[in-house]
Amino acid sequence: MAIFLLVLVEIAERLETFVVERNLEARKEGLLTLRPCVIQLLGQTALLEAKVPLTLAATNDVDVYADYDFAIEQEFRRLLATKGRELDSLGAEVWMPTETAYQPLFVGHCVSLLVADAESILVSKGLKAARKNRPLLTEYLARGPSARFLKLAHKYRLDLEQFL
Amino acid sequence: MSQKQLAELVQRARARYAKIERQRRDPRYRRVFGRFVAAGLLNSNDQTVPQRGAIRLADALWAGEVEPRILELLPALLIKKPSFFEERTTLPDDLAQVVRALRRGEVPAEFRGIPGADLARWLPRLGRSGAAPSRLRCFRFSAEESRLLSRLSGELKTTEVAVLRRALRELGAAVLDGRA
Repeated sequence: MAIFLLVLVEIAERLETFVVERNLEARKEGLLTLRPCVIQLLGQTALLEAKVPLTLAATNDVDVYADYDFAIEQEFRRLLATKGRELDSLGAEVWMPTETAYQPLFVGHCVSLLVADAESILVSKGLKAARKNRPLLTEYLARGPSARFLKLAHKYRLDLEQFL
Repeated sequence: MSQKQLAELVQRARARYAKIERQRRDPRYRRVFGRFVAAGLLNSNDQTVPQRGAIRLADALWAGEVEPRILELLPALLIKKPSFFEERTTLPDDLAQVVRALRRGEVPAEFRGIPGADLARWLPRLGRSGAAPSRLRCFRFSAEESRLLSRLSGELKTTEVAVLRRALRELGAAVLDGRA
């Protein structure tokens, strides 16, 4: 899985090259250029990047929030597919706390790849898919939850009893 | 939350987690999870030995209680990759209902805590890419409509059902686009 995270940075770099080349061509031909975009990683993939010491099982889905143009999304999807991953088309519907902090994984001129903080992801998972993430939340609580997680759990009324 | 409450919460979680850890060491879990990893369906940051060969459905259901993502993939796998399992003729009632609904192209009811929509989304994504079960629908056409369908089929060098599907998609795009 650690290898996959290096792959994600590599994908972001290739996406950056794609956008730069497309924009150079577009400028030459007087066409509209692709807008710079920010891709925010969510879900299990982001948890792995955050290096949370938890046992993680993940499907091949990659959940993101992103403000990219359609052409960039298609290229991102294609690049992920070459690595056996699939961009979840419902990623934009994932609920995340407003307090979610995003750390940069790759920052280019046209493409930035950020990763959501672990506590926010765990609160999101606990609230929106408690049953599916029960082992994960139980393990997290057993290892001692952070004060920030407890604060978020309290604010969003996450019932921790269901994981005990 | 006070320090005392937090300590109690952690203690209870540790007791619960100890059970999960025991279950993860169980050969049934390791075999099933390893099979899912070998098939590229699941990934883990844990040391997992990929496993080959068919698995027992009962073991998969048991392992799914430890890792619910196994349950999420299970019904679609039964339809798209039945050889994944040693025996698949006798399904538990709740699983049989989910499989039946998926075969009909319906969103099934919740299955052991996994929402029906989560179960349904795997069907087109496993096995042959994009392929989902089709459903038999019967309609009556007048002779004139039937002739038109045959002519279009000949003209477009495709099957009659492909003509109907295309017409339906185009009509859907024209009438429904922007109303989602």
